Amino acid sequence: MVGWLKTILPWLLLAVLLLLPKTNPSDNLIRLLFITAVWTTTSLGWNLLGGMAGQVSFGFAVFFGLGAYTTALLMHAGHSPYFGFIGGAAIAMLASFLIGLPTFRLRGPYFVIATIGVTEAVRVIMNNLDVTGGSSGYRITEDQPFSQNEHYYSAIVAVALAVLVSTVIANSKFGLALRAIKQDEDAAADLGVNPYTSKLWVHAIAAGLTGIAGGIYARRAAFFYPGDVFAFQTGISILLMPVIGGIGTVWGPVLGGVIYGMVEEEISVKFPNLHLLIYGSLLIAIILLEPDGLLGLLRRVFRLFPSQQAKTKLAGNPG
Amino acid sequence: MKILEVQALTKYFGGVAALKDVSFDIPEKQICGFIGPNGAGKTTLFSLITGAVRPSGGQIHFHGKDVTGMNAASLVKKGVARTHQVVRPFKAMTVLENVQLAVHYGRRAVTRTSIAREHAMEALKMVGLEHKANVLASAISLGDQKRLEVARALAANPELLLLDEICGGLTGAETRAMMNLIQRVREGGTTIMYVEHDMKAIMSVCDRITVLNFGRKLAEGKPEDIQNDPSVIEAYLGKTTFGDDKRG
Ligand SMILES: Nc1ncnc2c1ncn2[C@@H]1O[C@H](COP(=O)(O)OP(=O)(O)OP(=O)(O)O)[C@@H](O)[C@H]1O
Ligand SMILES: [Mg+2]
Repeated sequence: MVGWLKTILPWLLLAVLLLLPKTNPSDNLIRLLFITAVWTTTSLGWNLLGGMAGQVSFGFAVFFGLGAYTTALLMHAGHSPYFGFIGGAAIAMLASFLIGLPTFRLRGPYFVIATIGVTEAVRVIMNNLDVTGGSSGYRITEDQPFSQNEHYYSAIVAVALAVLVSTVIANSKFGLALRAIKQDEDAAADLGVNPYTSKLWVHAIAAGLTGIAGGIYARRAAFFYPGDVFAFQTGISILLMPVIGGIGTVWGPVLGGVIYGMVEEEISVKFPNLHLLIYGSLLIAIILLEPDGLLGLLRRVFRLFPSQQAKTKLAGNPG
Repeated sequence: MKILEVQALTKYFGGVAALKDVSFDIPEKQICGFIGPNGAGKTTLFSLITGAVRPSGGQIHFHGKDVTGMNAASLVKKGVARTHQVVRPFKAMTVLENVQLAVHYGRRAVTRTSIAREHAMEALKMVGLEHKANVLASAISLGDQKRLEVARALAANPELLLLDEICGGLTGAETRAMMNLIQRVREGGTTIMYVEHDMKAIMSVCDRITVLNFGRKLAEGKPEDIQNDPSVIEAYLGKTTFGDDKRG
């Protein structure tokens, strides 16, 4: 019963989200869901690398920003925005290799340090790059009139893609390898897993999803600048969502993304700085009470979705 | 036919030679024992052959091809798999998932999860761990974690299997069952390198034995010859007795 519900619920949710614009919802609701879907896509992307493979990155703003700028430049060159999103994903993936190739080989915190350095470097470069308007930002002009629903649908498709990719990976041999790498990469290597190439690929997939999200965000915003999309704070936010929601699962990062979207768009607008208190309290609660995030907390409270661990523990107790 | 040739293999950790100028050949489908006092370099030798550690000098040939310095993952794909003396289960994964990983990424490289699970269950049955398949690897006893090490290595479907002290914590009967398993695996065509401190166990199952002492090869031969070799008795068998005497 519960298992059946678990398979059907995501599809039901997708159907509701796709049919929603037909019911004449308020612009504000569509805008809120748009931004939530964009952030949730990045949250799911980060989780593949950070949650499943255990490689913490502070640098996802780089992929978000590259997605934004690539989409904008491709649109400026006369391409369709959808081609722009794919281009943004490709450039973000390329950047992920540049960061990962030299650092994933090394032991210790080199990768995480590199992600901090690269974010700052890219932001400074973009601030001084004339072709993209430098620090004063970049404006996208479209011939067609603004369509709230088109932006909304792009974001929903992106987040659905991110859920699909995450689910497929979680249930594949690659997902199993990532979990093994997170726990003991030498032991994984002794069973034939190549930790280096596995990390490179999952980093690239995560970057690609984040690049798409950046492109979709930029197209709707129509105006953006390096201090916004390439901000270190953006990278922190992308990390915060899966951590709050519950890393390593598929639905934890979704929950985190939804909470982040709501807080950013509703609360931080009305009560500036209150959002920082909310994130801070949530983080402390999670670190102290439930490392599996809010999803783990919910599971404990409701036992609605028994975790894999709980199931296997039960199965292992014949008495 | 030789499956493995080791020439002048040397490993320094800092200034200390954990292994120095060790050479030997491993014939196909044999069970080759490696013994020696604590710190003799047995585990280091295994780590070098399986690519976990890079040698400071010397060569390793597998099926006649130079594999010196090749990474661990590639060697597993070529057919070299090991167990760990200090167990290294993936504790947040089930026993079955631990073994399934080896089926996916071992020599067979199975992609379908359903098929991989079937192969993994077979490996678990060989070591008698099938009833714990769905338990988290953190929740089983040390003895079972040792069995899991063996099941994982078997599941990688190796041509050369390196077993490092797999009987620690097992009872006499369990050890005999493990020796039977080793024999069966060899009969299936797998060559085995085997490290164990339990003399009775290792003498009963090995075709030949190499003795290491302070990182060097001390002796090599049939089990009965090794048991009667004076230098071995002094360095290894004798020392344990002296050690026991001192403690008592
Ligand atoms: N990673 C390492 N770093 C530094 N020294 C090491 C390392 N691994 C092993 N050694 C040293 O190398 C020597 C050989 O150790 P090794 O573990 O190979 O011995 P062993 O024969 O397996 O012993 P045991 O029977 O106790 O398992 C020891 O002196 C050990 O302290
Ligand atoms: Mg050892």
